Amino acid sequence: MADKKLVMLVDTKRCIACNSCAVACKIENNLPKNIWWNRIMTVGGGNLDSPEGEYPNLKMHNVTVACQHCENPACVKVCPVGATYKDPETGVVRQDYDKCIGCRMCMSACPYTGVRSFNWEEPKYSLAHAVGDADAPEHQKHVVEKCTFCYQRISKGETPACMDLCPARARHWGDLDDPNSDVSRAIAGRSYEHLLDEKGTKPGVYYLV
Amino acid sequence: MTDTTAAVAAKAPAKKGGGVGLNIAIGVSAVLVAAGLVLWAMQLSGGMVQTAMRNLDSWGLYITGFMFFVGLSAGGLIISSVPKAFGLSGFGGISKVAVMTSIAATVAAIGLVVVDMGQPFRVWELFVYSNLGSPLMWDIIVLMVYLILSCVYLWAQVQAEKGKVGHTALRVISVVALVTAVLVHSVTAWIFGLQQGREMWHTALLAPWFVSSALVCGTGLVMCAAAALRAAGYLKWDQANLVKLAKLLAVFLLVDLYFFGCDLLTAGFPAGEGLAVVQMLVSGPLAPFFWGEVVLSAAAIVICVVPALRTTPLMVVAGLCAIAAIFCKRAQLLVGGFQIPNIDLAAAMTPFTVTNWEGNMAQAYAGMVYWPTPLEFGVALGVTALGFLVFFLGLKLLPLKPADQE
Repeated sequence: MADKKLVMLVDTKRCIACNSCAVACKIENNLPKNIWWNRIMTVGGGNLDSPEGEYPNLKMHNVTVACQHCENPACVKVCPVGATYKDPETGVVRQDYDKCIGCRMCMSACPYTGVRSFNWEEPKYSLAHAVGDADAPEHQKHVVEKCTFCYQRISKGETPACMDLCPARARHWGDLDDPNSDVSRAIAGRSYEHLLDEKGTKPGVYYLV
Repeated sequence: MTDTTAAVAAKAPAKKGGGVGLNIAIGVSAVLVAAGLVLWAMQLSGGMVQTAMRNLDSWGLYITGFMFFVGLSAGGLIISSVPKAFGLSGFGGISKVAVMTSIAATVAAIGLVVVDMGQPFRVWELFVYSNLGSPLMWDIIVLMVYLILSCVYLWAQVQAEKGKVGHTALRVISVVALVTAVLVHSVTAWIFGLQQGREMWHTALLAPWFVSSALVCGTGLVMCAAAALRAAGYLKWDQANLVKLAKLLAVFLLVDLYFFGCDLLTAGFPAGEGLAVVQMLVSGPLAPFFWGEVVLSAAAIVICVVPALRTTPLMVVAGLCAIAAIFCKRAQLLVGGFQIPNIDLAAAMTPFTVTNWEGNMAQAYAGMVYWPTPLEFGVALGVTALGFLVFFLGLKLLPLKPADQE
């Protein structure tokens, strides 16, 4: 068991679907072309940012989806070499690019469609120079990667990049076992949902509803 | 594996050791293996973006082929070891040839896992950082054991004929080989079946079902291989043995279809999430593979149970139908696991998201979510040729003929 229970709350009542968190993630982690660890999904409509329902009864609803940092992660169990593992101290599900053999067993195992991303080619970038955090691990060809809760930031005592830039202040992050933490205060009195609760993965991302 | 064997072997003159035909077959296989290696090098240098696999359908033809060849490897070993293990009368002098098909199919199966890996040069990590809780790790261990054991078993049979390995020792090896064969299919099933994230895969029936499918295509393979080798004059083989195998094939096919029916009923009856699996197979994007499997299986069963139809050519057709039916099953299982996304909400699509990424999610899943690229077909053909090459080299170099026909 991890010493802490680091979780993220996403307040779906506050989220304005501005995509700032996706961009913050992309920049912070210097994500290669075609790769997004954090994606803003449109609920209801068939296309991105399309409304749900029939005119005039339309509504817009979005959900941000990245690695759920499960307490019972399907990916960690199936990785043959332990390249994806649960950090013993924080409970964060991490990826070791140097160890990954590219078998993609974790991608099959993870029920959260698309949160894991494979570098299908030599990483390409829009800019000639790297951006974001210099401590973020360098991307590699033919390995699996995903959200790490910005491990390079949280190990310095900072918060993940996605919540830092959220203009709607819809994200909270911290130790749920600590009653005085930001997340514990934010979740108090609120009802929440998990994505795909029925899969038994016990996700570490809570959606406040 | 059998159709080329039949085609090439039929042309071969009936000489000891196989003659010119076998040499040509070895040459053709070697060229295809070399071509496959070049294509694999291209895949590694240019990136797996050249395959059709993407984040939402992250396995494809290679893992389909892996499942298929693991299945094919069953027949030979089981047909060879069951009579010895239980002290029954066997299927004539094809025991060693049958095991050779197992070895060849296992080599191809391992090859397909290797070409699927993004970082094949890190394969050593499997033995250094082994996570023994991973079904993939179990499979790697069991496959290795299976390959080594098949070779040992073949060697023991050769030695037993020379009187150097005793009857009891051979029988013990037979039993161990049989247990490993059942394990290898179960463990391969568990790579898929233990994953709660994929609606189609997550069923307890998958392991026994993989065993029955393996028996189907493995028996089909042995029938075709033995009939082809007999036609080529490589060995003499009593027709009664082929008929016996054909009857067994019918039983295996019926069991396999029965399992399929049970699974579909259990998935569809509650009309919950499992109903999507049934619809996808029966009338959805995977219907050609589903009905292909059903029709091919039915055709093979009819040939095998109607005495008047049990001629050598038709029984070979039945064997080929059985093999093709199981390939259809492997394809629908692999693609079917990815065809139903757990989260199908609209999101930004990039060329890495899914094979058909240029529309929205609904469009990506309208047809089959995955279809291989020519490069994948080429690499898979190369690995298949490697299996053939191993088999042909075995025919040429090893004493695989029945002892009394040497």
